Amino acid sequence: MSLIGESHNSVVVDHRSAIVLKDLYDIRPVDLNLIDKVGSFMLPQVDNIVDEWYDWLGQQAEFKQFFSNKKILQHVQQKQLDYWQEFLAGEIGEEYVKVRRVTGETHARIGLSMTVFFAGMNIFDRLFSDSIQKQNFDENEQMLMSDAISKQVHLDTGIVCEMYNYVSNELIAGQNKALMEMSTPVTEIWAGILLLPVVGIVDSKRSQDIMNAVLNEIGKTNAKEFILDISGVAVIDTAVANYLIKITKATRLMGCESTISGLSPANAQTIVNLGIDVGTVKTTSTMMDAIDKAFKRQNLKIIEIKS
Amino acid sequence: MIQEKRSRIRIGREADTVRAIMESKRMAHSLGFDDYHCQKIATAVSELVRNIIKYADWGEVTISPITEAKKTGIEITVQDRGSGIADLDSAMQDDFSSSGTLGLGLPGVKRLMDEFAISSEVDVGTQIIIRQWL
Repeated sequence: MSLIGESHNSVVVDHRSAIVLKDLYDIRPVDLNLIDKVGSFMLPQVDNIVDEWYDWLGQQAEFKQFFSNKKILQHVQQKQLDYWQEFLAGEIGEEYVKVRRVTGETHARIGLSMTVFFAGMNIFDRLFSDSIQKQNFDENEQMLMSDAISKQVHLDTGIVCEMYNYVSNELIAGQNKALMEMSTPVTEIWAGILLLPVVGIVDSKRSQDIMNAVLNEIGKTNAKEFILDISGVAVIDTAVANYLIKITKATRLMGCESTISGLSPANAQTIVNLGIDVGTVKTTSTMMDAIDKAFKRQNLKIIEIKS
Repeated sequence: MIQEKRSRIRIGREADTVRAIMESKRMAHSLGFDDYHCQKIATAVSELVRNIIKYADWGEVTISPITEAKKTGIEITVQDRGSGIADLDSAMQDDFSSSGTLGLGLPGVKRLMDEFAISSEVDVGTQIIIRQWL
């Protein structure tokens, strides 16, 4: 589980301590004492409450999707009993918070909707309140008990929401990374000739990725020609031009000539207007032209077979 | 006549620049600019938002359709809360760079656009307004 141990990307979990969280939700020692007191009469009947809750869950559309397997259902019900035992202990420490985070992450990863989770916690809150009202306490104490329970239910729900958020951010970061890795597919189209089409926006990170990918490939294949096709690049501003010039210089140092292909009429005019000096960089308007010239320099020729 | 509304984009990370570039290109296209002018406008925006990322922590890009007499155009305001530019005359000169890049950014943008206005105050920030007419 990625929550424990280092993460492969920059997504951070909310690491608020138990003390900070208790303060945020205004849970005081007196509340925890009340919860402990509730626990003394609630624990023996928690089984019934969980059963009642599953009656509710059985009516939800999600039930079939997640809990149709008997074994899973039993396992989850046991987990839930454990949870309420921990909940009613009247103690919110670091371990408790950590377990809530892991629980939240599990819920998010199996894809249970946040709405059902929220509604489920709300139902539990109500079932507990009903149960408190059946006891022989004065009205004020009943209210304070229900309040204390609600505060802790909110704290727990908050942690779980945070984890839903964490899991989806992690997913986005992972997708971005995958996209970035896929976006520099340097290919050897012929012995000694490399091709890389670039699509989208080129930023400093991307240009560094391109540089690394190309230089590594040149080292591996001993290529003499590299064609960088930029017809799919959204804009060529001075920064992108600077990156491109640097890439061609670096490949030349490794004995490989670069050609930048796919310059549209609009881009060509814009580059001139910006005042960029392309110097000795080889450019062509089409990729076909670049390939043709690279073949010629390598003394290769494509001929039509006449039958 | 103009259906387009003003659009405002907050720039804080490199990823935000994509939105500003794409939105300016989209609006220019929808206002009736041809490919070359759309490309010019998007390139100018790219140039300016990159400066925000490079020199300021955050900034804002406002892209608006404008009309004057019978003319239609696009106006882009780029505002940052950075350290400001101490020497505007130098910054507007070709081949002047305070960071080892090509040094063509600001003068290049001025050459690309019909209108260009810059104001900057040290420790307050920089505002650049560019306009292109159809």
